[in-house]
Amino acid sequence: MIGTTSALLAAAALVFLLIAWIRADKALRDLPFGSEEWSSSLDESPEACPAEFVSQIFSSGDMAYVERLNSRELERQFHRERNGVALLWVQQTSAVVQRIMRRHVEASRQSRDIEFIMEARIFLQYAQLKAACALIFVGIGLAGAQEVRGIALYADVLTQRISQVAREFDAGLREREMKGVGPS
Amino acid sequence: MSAEVKPMPLQEAYNDLVNRSLTRIPGELGRLIYLASTREYNTGHYYHQGLADRFGPGAAQKALEIAHRQAFYKVSAYSLEDLVEELERYLASTKENPLKCLRAWQKLEPYRIAVPEDVNATVARLFTSNLRLALAILRFRQGRSRPHR
Repeated sequence: MIGTTSALLAAAALVFLLIAWIRADKALRDLPFGSEEWSSSLDESPEACPAEFVSQIFSSGDMAYVERLNSRELERQFHRERNGVALLWVQQTSAVVQRIMRRHVEASRQSRDIEFIMEARIFLQYAQLKAACALIFVGIGLAGAQEVRGIALYADVLTQRISQVAREFDAGLREREMKGVGPS
Repeated sequence: MSAEVKPMPLQEAYNDLVNRSLTRIPGELGRLIYLASTREYNTGHYYHQGLADRFGPGAAQKALEIAHRQAFYKVSAYSLEDLVEELERYLASTKENPLKCLRAWQKLEPYRIAVPEDVNATVARLFTSNLRLALAILRFRQGRSRPHR
């Protein structure tokens, strides 16, 4: 009996998450003029979005201003627009970190002396960030960008940390290369 | 022996652009639109006759590009409330009928060409999205302030 209830609850949770995911995905597709024009450049975009803009995208200040205007239509438009920007940010962050990791894995493969702790640290942060991005994506679809501000700021800090660690690793690798100890 | 340090042509061109041309334009949005208008649509190159004559086409092009990017990031960082005020000021500063201008901006979205090349994709989206919202808010406010018959 307990087994059946747990299975039903798990199935319900899965359906709920699936619906949230579909909603977020639809919101991204329904952006005015589509998101293709900017998202096509996400793959080449070398840098993550500057922190001050991340804070602005997920802030509730603009929403409070729109609410003061007392227009349901403007509020709806605001949520549609801001959620679209937030979803694009999730895509960009995911793409940037994936690229950093790809570069890092390539560099690690060429290196003879891999530091296990450093590699584990980078991988853990990467996994955390990917999970956070998935959570934010679903959260935006369910509740809106302002409701996931905390986790978005945390994801931004993680992105910066991963970039920093990968940069340190690359610098160390180059230093060892110059000393003639490095890659085979 | 005293060595006089001469500013680089790019720095000189940039200072000249900021201190002479841009200070005359009211508001950051106005400056952004002006800088975007110095860019050739077909090639993406910036051109300003006066600057190019004085500092060379290379320095002039780079100075315009830097100033454009700076103005873009400044406007993109505005809160929605500040952007609405900025937009109102910009529309009032044009010699056209502000309501006509507002309608044209909503319909044609000319501000989309104010986005510089190679800026962060999310910030570019935030910029156009905020401007769409600011226009809708201005339109709403104008509709509300019109006397009821």
